[in-house]
Amino acid sequence: MTTRMVGEPVKRVEDPRLVTGNGRYLDDLGHDAFEVAFVRSPHAHARVVDVDVTDALDVEGLVAIYTYEDLVADEEEHGTRVAQALPLLIPHPTLTHGRTQHALANGEVNHVGEAIVMVVASDRYAAEDAVERIRVDYEFLTPIVGVEAARAAEHLVHDDVPGNVAARMVQETGDADAAIDAAPHRLELDLAIERSASMPMEGKGVHARWDADDESLTVHTSTQTSTSVRQAVAAKLNLPVDRVEVVTPDVGGGFGVKIVHPWPEEVLVPWAALRLGRPVKWTEDRREHFVSSAHERGQLHHVRVGYDDEGRLLGLSVKFWHDHGAYIPYGLIVPIITSTQLLGPYKPGAYRVEFESLYTNTVIVTPYRGAGRPQGCFVMERTMDAIAADLGLDRALVRERNFIQPDEMPYDQGLIFQDGRQLLYDSGDFPGSLAKLKELVGWDDFAAYREQARAEGRRVGIGMACYVEGTGVGPYEGGHIRVETDGTVVVSTGLTTQGQGHQTMLAQIVADELGVPFERIRVTTGDTRRFKYAVGTFASRTAVMSGSAVAVTARAVREKALRIASDALEAAVEDLEIVDGNVRVKGTGENGASVDLGAVAVLSNPLRYAFDEAAKRATQFAAPADPDKPPVAEGESPGLEASQFYSPPRSTFANGMHAVVVETDPDTADIKVLRYCVVHDCGTLINPMIVEGQIHGGVAQGVGGALYERMEYAPDGQLLNASFMDFLMPYASEVPEVEIDHLVTPSPLNPLGVKGAGEAGVIPGAAAIAAAIEDAEGITIRRMPISPSELFHLRLENQEAGS
Amino acid sequence: MKVSGTSTLKADPDTLWKALNDPAVLVATIPGCQRLEALGGDTFAMTVAAGVGSIKGVYDGQYSIADQAEPGTYLMRARGSGAAGTIDATVAVRLQEAEDDNGGTLLSYDADAVVGGMIGGVGQRMLTGVSKKMATEFFGNIDRYLAGERAAEPEAAVSTGSTTRGAVFTAPAAAPSASNDFVKGLLVGGAIALAGAVVGGWIAGRRR
Repeated sequence: MTTRMVGEPVKRVEDPRLVTGNGRYLDDLGHDAFEVAFVRSPHAHARVVDVDVTDALDVEGLVAIYTYEDLVADEEEHGTRVAQALPLLIPHPTLTHGRTQHALANGEVNHVGEAIVMVVASDRYAAEDAVERIRVDYEFLTPIVGVEAARAAEHLVHDDVPGNVAARMVQETGDADAAIDAAPHRLELDLAIERSASMPMEGKGVHARWDADDESLTVHTSTQTSTSVRQAVAAKLNLPVDRVEVVTPDVGGGFGVKIVHPWPEEVLVPWAALRLGRPVKWTEDRREHFVSSAHERGQLHHVRVGYDDEGRLLGLSVKFWHDHGAYIPYGLIVPIITSTQLLGPYKPGAYRVEFESLYTNTVIVTPYRGAGRPQGCFVMERTMDAIAADLGLDRALVRERNFIQPDEMPYDQGLIFQDGRQLLYDSGDFPGSLAKLKELVGWDDFAAYREQARAEGRRVGIGMACYVEGTGVGPYEGGHIRVETDGTVVVSTGLTTQGQGHQTMLAQIVADELGVPFERIRVTTGDTRRFKYAVGTFASRTAVMSGSAVAVTARAVREKALRIASDALEAAVEDLEIVDGNVRVKGTGENGASVDLGAVAVLSNPLRYAFDEAAKRATQFAAPADPDKPPVAEGESPGLEASQFYSPPRSTFANGMHAVVVETDPDTADIKVLRYCVVHDCGTLINPMIVEGQIHGGVAQGVGGALYERMEYAPDGQLLNASFMDFLMPYASEVPEVEIDHLVTPSPLNPLGVKGAGEAGVIPGAAAIAAAIEDAEGITIRRMPISPSELFHLRLENQEAGS
Repeated sequence: MKVSGTSTLKADPDTLWKALNDPAVLVATIPGCQRLEALGGDTFAMTVAAGVGSIKGVYDGQYSIADQAEPGTYLMRARGSGAAGTIDATVAVRLQEAEDDNGGTLLSYDADAVVGGMIGGVGQRMLTGVSKKMATEFFGNIDRYLAGERAAEPEAAVSTGSTTRGAVFTAPAAAPSASNDFVKGLLVGGAIALAGAVVGGWIAGRRR
């Protein structure tokens, strides 16, 4: 019997190649290509008065220098749209003042790092040398940095955007203000989360090759959505989509930043290749990634909450301000997610949320793993802890009393989620998850441990945080599966891979659905030459969307194989099964009549010409055939292959709970995470090892977001820590061992019962660690991340307030 | 592409004008110019070697005076082509006495060029930058030439002022001054050399 693969901790088939240095990333491509470097604005807000390239002209190897005027001229001459502002990818009715950037600055720069001049040269050294010699004259404008300055609106980022407000959005269920006013207990909290960023090991990168004879363009880009880049590049360059292909090579991490597209470079590099008739390539360096890609997280929140004597929520009103940076190409996805997902596993009573999305002269903000949820989770969980503190109740108990119960599933929160669909939880067992978490971390015994530690002069604290995460958003994904005549199974899906182990996970699904050995399956992702219809890799959606798509595709291939084999084996389709890649009659075991899938593939494709031994069996004189039937039966097509799509009605909602134990140094205020416990429910587990790996990585980023990572902007808009020397991230030494327990409540929305797992680990980090520090110190924590220095100053403030 | 600029030369307008009418001077001073041939009338053929990398090569061009306006102003048309592209330029040039008291000339030019092929794809600022640089270099060469710093006499040697049909002028082996840097440093090739020459130097037609 074939071993069932789904649910097994199968080792990732990608890893031998990747860990032995045989990955092929963007910069491994195109050593013969011209290379690109950019003149980027050193100022946060300025008009570009003049660009003088004279001194650059002597640089040996210089090929071309482009500014915005060239893009305009190109539009006049060739009908391209490279000069026009980049698309606003996700419009929304409340996004009344959406502004997007130009590929090269159109007379004004709005953040440090915005591209002004593109230089093409024989290599990157020459390109950088030329960049250094190009002089740009600026007329300075007042930079607007941070939510407070944007909100005050004494100066504007864009002259035509009053108040710096791109969007103001309200969602409500019931009359929250009235419910709060009528509640026996009320609290107000101000909560802040600072900026961080995805920071993949590999930055962005683009390589483009124009074939003038074929009039076709091939673009390689380190992206999370090759199909959509293809459409965008074709539209921008005024090329028929049919003549453009986009291939995603190995991608060294995405974490959200590479879902944004087309990046200026994704338009400019192919455009230069087209105009120069030579391959052109650009590889982002680290500083460029800091100042010209995207950040996330920065938000200020004000909470009003009303609750009863038991700590049950009666009304919740949240207003928050989202700093989306200089432009807003990705729309309102992040704040919409915060505003909806902050509800977590709770029933909020009457709920009102309002946010403003504000322009600042800083790098754009687009989803980073977690995408607005870490902020929402922080807001809700800090509120839960504040309620518990106010009423003198156990923090776990207050949470439990507000949980949606399993028998209330599916539960409609009455809001509209980021996919434009209902915020409707499909499944989950929150009391069950909490029980597991309390058991795992030893919640009920912690008070004694804390007292004991106190007696030893140590400060320890515990905190927890719960989240619900909408995953697997639509609209769809697809799959194509073909069985080759040697029995190899070739699987393609359109979305891309950034190292998550998709080749392994998708092969596990196909192995089970089709009944073939795992080792015979080859999976391709993110190559538009292979599969043209897809959305992309974001929102923890690959297992849900492409997993389901290849499952239904494998079922279609299986049906076709059985139809063909039933003729060959002279048995009814219902009596057949596929085991280990062989179709056989059920119950006959290994000695019964069988035909392997490779042979079925041969028979599926009636041939005139025999090109090898296997093909002989499908030629016209090979076997007697019914002379009255066409060789390809009506309704069938040649080849043992199929293509199917999966499109769910709405997202499926995963959930989880984290508990953290920290120790703080009484003298230095150093913060150490002693234990990190995770209870995780992502429905059916396809590969527990991959899921746990995703959790580990997410927790590491959560620890980073809680204790280390921040974008240190000076008031003039300079990013002061734009390097890995200055931007702190946790090392292995700062990431605790992660203790994991799973709860499985399968999703009813898809054929596999799966939910997304990619982002979950990062979501509750800041909330749980803040709670644990608060518990250790007895000091209220309202801002994250927190450094030892900040904790030290909080201690001083607290002492002064107390004395 | 539009390029305009001014340059002050040491020679007075009359001396300058004579020099600019002398193909032997021109062939020695136009950056990258290898050969200049009078085709009769006001039309000349010219060969320029320039460029680096994939489009380094020899480019052929032709220019003529398309119009003649008020004294001291000239309107020229030039065409050139090479492996890397084509250029078609119209240039208005004006010679005036410089306002300083040194008896020099203020030369101003205003060119409108259409470029095609790969050269057309390298960016406007680069093209105008190269053209201006070429023009500046050319004027510098003229100044040095008239000051007697000529590197070597061209083969067709004696400066007669004649533009007899069929007269051929070729450059000395060592091109003057910074043109070597230009050849090494720029990719845009001979068509740009033509553009630079157009804006600066192809005013060998007769003053009327």
